[in-house]
Amino acid sequence: MHEVGIAQSLMDVVFDTAKNNGAKKVNKIFVKIGRLQAVESSSLMFAFDALKDGTIAEEGELIIENVPLTGKCMDCAHENIFEQIFMQCPKCGSSAVQILTGEELQITEIEVD
Amino acid sequence: MTKLDVNKRILSKNEELAEALKEGFDRDRTLVLNFVSSPGSGKTTLLSQILVELQKTYTVGVIEGDLQTDFDAERIRAAGIPAVQVNTNGSCHLEALDIEKAMVAFGKLDLLIIENVGNLVCPSSYELGEDAKVCMLSVTEGEDKPAKYPSMFHVSSAFIINKTDLLPYVDFDVQKCRDFALGVNPTLDIFETSCKTGQGLDEFIGWIAAKIRRKKGE
Repeated sequence: MHEVGIAQSLMDVVFDTAKNNGAKKVNKIFVKIGRLQAVESSSLMFAFDALKDGTIAEEGELIIENVPLTGKCMDCAHENIFEQIFMQCPKCGSSAVQILTGEELQITEIEVD
Repeated sequence: MTKLDVNKRILSKNEELAEALKEGFDRDRTLVLNFVSSPGSGKTTLLSQILVELQKTYTVGVIEGDLQTDFDAERIRAAGIPAVQVNTNGSCHLEALDIEKAMVAFGKLDLLIIENVGNLVCPSSYELGEDAKVCMLSVTEGEDKPAKYPSMFHVSSAFIINKTDLLPYVDFDVQKCRDFALGVNPTLDIFETSCKTGQGLDEFIGWIAAKIRRKKGE
């Protein structure tokens, strides 16, 4: 259950950005969470709601984009979405798969007043 | 309503501090290994046994992370190895700031071992300035753990299957476990160890010593 720590770090980045841009109110926060980060969206949402009270993000909405795990085979160049983290190329069977997406833990943008 | 581009890693503060720590460790040529596992897999026992050997040649220090108590640091110190306890008071992982604070207790080291809070999930997201992560599993935990908790195995460089002396008493398929782990991370160096019989300890000590020598430029 590291979602609370992640939510706190998220708030820190949001507050810094809002302050540096003279914003008074944070309305929306857009984040990308890669599958490999093992972050549960509902837990992160819960932690965010608990932490936002009494801050400039009090009425803010957290919008989470879950990013699937994708990889490219280093042997046959086939690109694939992986449901499991056993990264084996379904086309040629190679285990040499380079991760393309799925490691994100990123705030992309915020909407402020 | 204004849109502001942020494009920042959520854990950027921790990552920036970890990067600064790493620069310091690189300057001092200190090899830093971050040990991660679930609670009770035998990290502290294994460390006290292998560090006694490594300490004959190298300057070694240990940072112990736990929610509460300094039992583990006491156990490491009892083996004659300098150790600092960090209590996270409920937090399920160590952060770079914990390492920065703990480092004031040490002079220049050849090898710094960080024994993370027992947890197979959260520590994988928090960089501590280490050169490599070592993950551990004991045979009583089940061979499917690399498949169930893949993030940790994905970010580790070495994987230790510990307590192999118990294999006759448990249904643990070592080959399956290896296959699961290599499926998640084909580059893992895998060791099978027992602190009761000493199996695999020399081999793992050799792995660390080679990394220390490389870091020192020998």
